[in-house]
Amino acid sequence: MSSTENLITSIQGLSASSGDLSALHRILKGAEETLRADSDLQLSTLDQLDPSKHSLGYLYLLDVLTCGGPMSKEKASEVVLLIARFITSCDAEQIRLASDKFVSLCKGFKDRVLELEDPLRGVAPLLSAVRKVQVSTKRLTALHPDCLQLCLQAKCYKAGFSILSDDILEVDQPRDFYLYCYYGGMICIGQKKFQKALELLYNVVTAPMHSVNAIALEAYKKYVLVTLIHSGQFSVSLPKCASTAAQRHLKTWSIPYTEVGNCYNEGKISELQAVVVAHSSDFEKDNNLGLVKQAVSSLYKRNILRLTQKYLTLSLQDIANMVQLANAKEAEMHVLQMIQDGQIHALINQKDGMVRFLEDPEQYKTSEMIEVMDSVIQRTIMLSKNLIAMDESLSCDPLYLGKVGRERQRYDFGEDFDTVPQKFSM
Amino acid sequence: MAPSSSSGLTFKLHPLVMLNISDHFTRVKTQLNPPSSSCATRNIPTTVGAGAATSPQNVRVYGCVIGAQRGRTVEIFNSFELVFDPSSDSLDRSFLEKKQELYQKVFPGFYVLGWYSTGSEANESDMHIHKALMDINESPVYVLLNPAINHAQKDLPVTIYESEFHVIDGIAQPIFVNASYTIETVEAERISVDHVAHLKPSDGGSAATQLAAHLTGIHSAIKMLNSRIRVLFQYLVAMQRGDIPCDNSLLRQAASLLRSLPAAHSEKFDDNFLMEYNDKLLMSYLAMITNCTSNMNEVVDKVKTAYAKKSRTGGSRIPFM
Repeated sequence: MSSTENLITSIQGLSASSGDLSALHRILKGAEETLRADSDLQLSTLDQLDPSKHSLGYLYLLDVLTCGGPMSKEKASEVVLLIARFITSCDAEQIRLASDKFVSLCKGFKDRVLELEDPLRGVAPLLSAVRKVQVSTKRLTALHPDCLQLCLQAKCYKAGFSILSDDILEVDQPRDFYLYCYYGGMICIGQKKFQKALELLYNVVTAPMHSVNAIALEAYKKYVLVTLIHSGQFSVSLPKCASTAAQRHLKTWSIPYTEVGNCYNEGKISELQAVVVAHSSDFEKDNNLGLVKQAVSSLYKRNILRLTQKYLTLSLQDIANMVQLANAKEAEMHVLQMIQDGQIHALINQKDGMVRFLEDPEQYKTSEMIEVMDSVIQRTIMLSKNLIAMDESLSCDPLYLGKVGRERQRYDFGEDFDTVPQKFSM
Repeated sequence: MAPSSSSGLTFKLHPLVMLNISDHFTRVKTQLNPPSSSCATRNIPTTVGAGAATSPQNVRVYGCVIGAQRGRTVEIFNSFELVFDPSSDSLDRSFLEKKQELYQKVFPGFYVLGWYSTGSEANESDMHIHKALMDINESPVYVLLNPAINHAQKDLPVTIYESEFHVIDGIAQPIFVNASYTIETVEAERISVDHVAHLKPSDGGSAATQLAAHLTGIHSAIKMLNSRIRVLFQYLVAMQRGDIPCDNSLLRQAASLLRSLPAAHSEKFDDNFLMEYNDKLLMSYLAMITNCTSNMNEVVDKVKTAYAKKSRTGGSRIPFM
């Protein structure tokens, strides 16, 4: 079709500089309808364009071609390959001009990859897509949760973890944020980094929301279990900063988990196991059975930890009795594992089966400590800078200034302060 | 104009002399160009050796240096200012002799060794003054201070010139030749010079500014030390690689320098050192956390004000104080 050929030539011609690109963008936006109506448009026309140089035009054409309904398996895999190649080679600058289109293209890509049941193919392209769409590393894009979802399905947790290491400061859509934290928490659980998982799930649970949503509910269930595994304590009340909606409703929907938590606090293994068996159908429905089993095994650890606070030395048999383990051998295995993980500091005397609990031998005077401290201080400095930037932008927020002005009017500080105008003519 | 001196004399300069010269110059410059005045070239009654001053930077000050000569070592201890007579382009002789008598009474061992001035290079006209001084001291020295502040320059902007007779165009003429010198100081002098050099602003400032000034000084000193060590290190590495021909005398000097470092590699020292280092890091970490917390507090307050729900009753508001 002549209009398509015209379009292609204009794409090839106008992809050089930024001024040309904005002109091209306008042309493409106008031509979108005609492109959709064009039934002769084939994937082969894309061969005339180079994805790294003509990314914007390529994006539009690709979107028109692939947003159609269900496809056959061969076509779907061909499309997937094409999109993957496009994503890895496209130019980030051009993409950011039409970021919504790019995001919807990637979401379509993800759906096709999931349909093909081969999520591993989509992980690497989506990772690079996230980096290209991101304006700065502090901003959350709509692609983050999709990428994490693919990583979870493909079970490659390391790739997902690399995205999680950025500190997110700006969020566009709350739903993206909830999903990102939830999936991120699951990835961290998969990597056994429970501290970070706890942080992420905590973010979801305490995020501001008007009404409880399913993501927060699932996150809360996992949050309860991860607190048990990580810190060994359970409190029925949510943290104070959680929204009122969350505080009122989350608990009613997750009764089995609160029961597990309460039972954990008591510290008796047999009762805990009974509770778990009783609710195992609920746990299975939520896919949390594995996590629950981990929580149960962590109860032993917690009990042994409690023992270190009471006793200086203990025999392995006594430990086994107090923690309700089967025999001294198992107790020794548990203690050994905990020493290796760094959770307790102890000496096992194998001759007479005595365990001596020691203090934390960290003297904070090694050079490794210096590096740890240095990195921690750098992080705090970065955080401080971000907070100051946030503070400044808040001070210019008209909503804030309006309220401050109103408050100031009430208190008469003599004639010193002139009132802040309540309405700004912009 | 500045080949090396061949007289074989070693010169030792005391920091007091440099301080005196720079003080003299600064004072004259400020008097000639006071910060609050608009016209730069006023006729000021005090003529403390000011030369023809068209711009403050061209001000030249003159003075005399005194000291003692023992054998082949010339040690310059002190200096005083002289009056310069622009009409005859020479120093005021009677004034010089009067001052010399006074100084002789206080410091009996010191003699006039030469004179000083400020500028970037030695001029022809300086030779006149130099010759005039030759009847007091048969071989006077000329100490030249370059008042231009050059941050890139690491050495002192002080040069010492001697006069030697060289044959130029068939005529034996005295010209200035560069002489090398070392800085020499007595303990008492070091303390007072150090004190003067680190004068803080007169109002004392708050503890924070004083601490900041002190730390900046230490920081720049450490930076300079670091850059010099780096230069040495690169030189040695290049020698090892073979890029530069091996210079044994330099290697010996470097080795002796290293050997003279305090032999403090015992385990106890390392322990203590690391512990103190970590303590300092922890303290700065604590300071950073406090700083961060206060920033966070500000942000939270602002968010609360801006986005607070209307459900709060007016009476329970706590005033911002």
